[in-house]
Amino acid sequence: MGVYLLRRVLVAIPTLWLISVLVFAVIQLQPGGFLENLLEDPRVSRETIENIRRQYLLDQPVWVQYLHWLGGIVRGDFGYSFLNSRPVSELIWERMGWTVFLAFLTILVTWVIAIPLGIYTALNRYGPSSTALNFVGYFGLATPDFLVALLLIYWVLSTGGTNVGGLFSPQYIDAPWSWAKFQDMLAHLWIPLIVIGLDGTATIMRQMRANLLDVLSQDYIRTARAKGLAERVVLWKHAVRNAINPLISLAGLQLPTLISSTIIASIVLSLPTIGPFLYDSLLNKDQYVVMALLMLSALLLMVGNLLADVLLAWVDPRIRYE
Amino acid sequence: MKRRVWLIAMVLLALGLGYAQPKVLPAYTSLGVTTGKAGGSLTLSLASAPQTFFYYGAIDSAIQNLTNQMFDGLIEYNLANYQIEPALATRWSITDSRVYTFDLRRDVRWHDGRPFTADDVVFTYTQIVANPEARGGDAANFEGVKIEKLGDFRVRFTLPKPAPAFIHYMRLPIMPKHKLLPFSQEGGKPRAEINNAWPTNVNPEEVVGTGPFRLRSYTPGQQVTLVKNPNYWKRDTAGNPLPYLEQLQYLIITDSQARVAQFLAGNIGQINITGAEFPDLKRRETQGAPFRVVQFRALFGSPPHIGFNYNAKNAELANLFKNSDFRRALQFAVNRERIIEDVYNGLAERASYGVAPLSEWYYPEVARLQGRFDLNAANAALDRLGLRRGPDGIRRLPSGRPLEFTLTYGSNSAVFTAIATILQSDFQRVGVKVNLQGILAANLLSTGRGQDWEAILLALGDQPDPELRTPIWKPGGALYYWHQATQPTTPTGQPQFNNFLPWEREIYDLWERAASTTNFTQRKALYDRWQSIVAREAQVIMIAKEYAVGAVSNRYGNYIYSLGVIPGFNPVPLMFQR
Amino acid sequence: MDKRNNPLYLAWRRFLRSKPGVISGIVLLVLYLVAFLAGFLAPNNLTVQHPDAVYQPPQRVYFFRDGRPVRPYVYQLKRERDPVTFISTYREDRTRPTPIRFLIAQGEPYRFLGFKTNWHLFGVAESEGYFFPLGTDQFGRCLFSRILVGSQVSLTVGVIGVLISFAIGILLGGISGYFGGWVDTLIQRITEVLLSIPRLPILMALSTVIPASWPSTYVYLGIIAVLSFIGWAGLARVVRGQVLALREVDYVTAAMAQGASNLRIILRHIVPNLSSYLIVTATLALPGYIIGESALSFLGLGIKEPMASWGLLLKDAQNFQSLSLYPWLLTPGILIFISVLAYNFFGDALRDAADVRSRD
Repeated sequence: MGVYLLRRVLVAIPTLWLISVLVFAVIQLQPGGFLENLLEDPRVSRETIENIRRQYLLDQPVWVQYLHWLGGIVRGDFGYSFLNSRPVSELIWERMGWTVFLAFLTILVTWVIAIPLGIYTALNRYGPSSTALNFVGYFGLATPDFLVALLLIYWVLSTGGTNVGGLFSPQYIDAPWSWAKFQDMLAHLWIPLIVIGLDGTATIMRQMRANLLDVLSQDYIRTARAKGLAERVVLWKHAVRNAINPLISLAGLQLPTLISSTIIASIVLSLPTIGPFLYDSLLNKDQYVVMALLMLSALLLMVGNLLADVLLAWVDPRIRYE
Repeated sequence: MKRRVWLIAMVLLALGLGYAQPKVLPAYTSLGVTTGKAGGSLTLSLASAPQTFFYYGAIDSAIQNLTNQMFDGLIEYNLANYQIEPALATRWSITDSRVYTFDLRRDVRWHDGRPFTADDVVFTYTQIVANPEARGGDAANFEGVKIEKLGDFRVRFTLPKPAPAFIHYMRLPIMPKHKLLPFSQEGGKPRAEINNAWPTNVNPEEVVGTGPFRLRSYTPGQQVTLVKNPNYWKRDTAGNPLPYLEQLQYLIITDSQARVAQFLAGNIGQINITGAEFPDLKRRETQGAPFRVVQFRALFGSPPHIGFNYNAKNAELANLFKNSDFRRALQFAVNRERIIEDVYNGLAERASYGVAPLSEWYYPEVARLQGRFDLNAANAALDRLGLRRGPDGIRRLPSGRPLEFTLTYGSNSAVFTAIATILQSDFQRVGVKVNLQGILAANLLSTGRGQDWEAILLALGDQPDPELRTPIWKPGGALYYWHQATQPTTPTGQPQFNNFLPWEREIYDLWERAASTTNFTQRKALYDRWQSIVAREAQVIMIAKEYAVGAVSNRYGNYIYSLGVIPGFNPVPLMFQR
Repeated sequence: MDKRNNPLYLAWRRFLRSKPGVISGIVLLVLYLVAFLAGFLAPNNLTVQHPDAVYQPPQRVYFFRDGRPVRPYVYQLKRERDPVTFISTYREDRTRPTPIRFLIAQGEPYRFLGFKTNWHLFGVAESEGYFFPLGTDQFGRCLFSRILVGSQVSLTVGVIGVLISFAIGILLGGISGYFGGWVDTLIQRITEVLLSIPRLPILMALSTVIPASWPSTYVYLGIIAVLSFIGWAGLARVVRGQVLALREVDYVTAAMAQGASNLRIILRHIVPNLSSYLIVTATLALPGYIIGESALSFLGLGIKEPMASWGLLLKDAQNFQSLSLYPWLLTPGILIFISVLAYNFFGDALRDAADVRSRD
């Protein structure tokens, strides 16, 4: 296993480098950019635009810009945001706290709800509560995030509620932590959790159900039952453990969603996460911010995949990596 | 004893009247302004997080909004009639149309208590505004301008040649020399260093202005909080100190639906909305919701137009687009009344070129020259151009290819999408096939300035003086994007006169002449002539000018609509909480 | 061979036992039939704008007059504008009952199986007025007709997209898991690279490459290709994980020992074991394609105005004014929901039917 891990880490470096080249190229292909839009302001002239281009080395060939960026990375410098005139790492750091909090909370809630529900709906296939749960799940899948958020906000408003966006009421945003602030946060948090988590919950629930049904009809489960093992042991020790395999691979892919999956929800719910920051940077071609965020996302993806592979081998003893 | 105090008070008052006096605002009764009550707080919204706290470090609407509350310019606009009024300058004189001398207000202090003097003005204009490396500077308009201090409270600007709109540049916010010197060339730094002043993680104490509010805190991505400047230099008509409000909060909300939601929930005190959002909010108001929805005719704001690429890659199309008869023919098929009615819900009016119908520069004949929606006239005019219909109903170009072109529009704007869809449908009826190409609105201008487009739906902002929009409307300007062959080949070069159309040459000369005089009557005549020519030639097809629509909670009084980003136009100090 | 031992027959029997499955199957059949006949079933042209019928609510159909059953008819609606709120309200003009006619030939011809025709199942005569069964949109276009024609896109984009991405995903995931070693490393790194490349700038770059003059059908095929090309990498990961486990199972090792070809082992022994997971994942992936298509049109890549798809139509409803003033614009959302339900219940029944060992 140790050799396997070492090999994976070594392979990761050229992969990351390849990703960085591709991502940089893709950003350059994109039309537009923030510079041209500045001209709409009566203050800005063509000369100003040229000067800014020079300040940011944007007048240099693309490969020079790339090498400049790569050189910075080697020195631990993630570059500079064109729009914010500040180092990228500071800007990301400012938004990291809430992003990680929200993402982990969503992943946690999703899995904690979805796995038991998946098991429940598998064991009670045709019960009315299973059908109801399925309906809610399908509704989440069939409705765009934006519309789900809008419908929830509309509903809150029509019942006279005021918590329709953000993580806090305005008076608590700057306030120090207190019990009241915590309660206020909880009153806001449920909307983003539903909007971000509904799709995932439905998907995992359905997949868990299907996998479990599959496993339950396998020979070794029958053997286990025939051996007279308690049903509880058969279910949890044998069936669920095997049924969860495909979901582990899926879980590995969820790590990078820390950065990208909450974009739409964050925009419509005004959440202070990295998602909208990435979106803005992409639209404005703030290239070093985009590079930093996407490389971070790629790194998380690889870490997630590696963890998933290790976990797979641990959960399922049949799997071995030679 | 009592008498002595009285006497001293009188002397001080007299001295104050002599030199240092606060500015007393006009009554603004026409705008419904009454005497307010001090205290309270107001929450507004920003559409994006501020990129910096330094106005000249970026072109960014969030910092423009905030700067309006934290800083002042030498002049400002009257809130009712948009006339220029004294702000940090109390009065000025103009000699030879070239020499501007400003007397500065004497009792003004920066938020940290330091006095405001001519040094700050000279510093702001020489080190920042005229600095070509400042990303939000205005170096082009200050080239060759000599800026001198003539005493602690007097400055003089000497222009190389007359510039009629120069007085408008004096609305730019004045920055504190004592805080920004370390970032300036005068302070021994390279010129580009000024852009690094006051990043968003700056200590709020550092950001000092002279404005009605000062920065208290910024929570990244969530909100900016400003508090009242107790020593602000403005008074209301009754002599009470302004601003009334104790605190101003800005929530950062990107999505317009989310802004409406926060307003309906009562978390935001005031929002600007569009004509499309008007009926729903107005209905809630009539049903007793605690807010008012108000509409104003707008001076600022960006009316959309259809631009045709005179230099389209398809030579046949370029020839047509360059032909005024063709553009006029298509103009007949633009149903402005329907667009105003259905897209803006009636909350818009016909637009002119670069100046709002409300503006003193507006030439009323423009509406007549633009003509009315008339499909028969459009068909007849297209027939006269020899563009015969094919069997499929689409007209044919001389080469026999169908007459179709791409219309690029901003797909994430409900207004642009609707206008584009209506145009496509109506143009189809006169045998012109339009292919819609939706792109993100943020990329419209860069697309227009490139070569890969045929027709485009674009909106460029109106300003109080046409001169301020020279780069758009003077042929060869940086934003004269529809005829790029007129633009100079180098950023500082001359326009390519040989590519001018005859009428373009004419309007170019009009602009040159208008820029060389400060006489209002002469300039008005020249700009009238310009508007009549571009309207006659259908240079671009102006569509409609949207009214300004705002909604304000009943908790607040003295609401006057403002875009928030226009320097020198700031009604917020008059607002108060009931 | 005895019919009762034929596995297909048995599966069919098992499928019929699932009521939701059968109902879903019928619903899907109807939906596809409607999509196929959209031009004929739609009473109005989907692109024609009616400026005098903007945001018109659905028209009510009457079957009785003075208590007696008559040929179905509707009343024409008259638009009035509230002078304060500028809201358009519509009132039935009781003086003008308009009969609904069946099998009428009028309006722009549409293409059906290569023929050009202008027959419609029902509608009112153009000279007599309008009939908008589900109301109209901002331009006074018939929502019902737009939904029908839009179903052609929405009901196929998902299926084709899923087929393509699953074909690639299963193949590469299977190879990766089955062979392991450097093949596995290579394919997995490729998926990592693919999953890391940002979608938005790729799509934005693409949107400038595809010419606006391309007909909608080309663009539509392009979208499917793009969506599915991006969509396979996640699936390949999961399939690989499953295959890694399955290749150690007794019957697979036994097959290997017997010298069965790799392809045969993968197709005969491994893929059937994945079928349950694959069916569920496929049905779960469908709504993403149906909705995702509308996100593309945001970037100018999707179905373009004046053409329609459910996702695009639903976008008109996604703001407060529509939710409170024009709620009928949400109908495309209801149809997306119905089709997603049908796909998933159908998928469930299919899964249960395919599950040979299931004994209940």
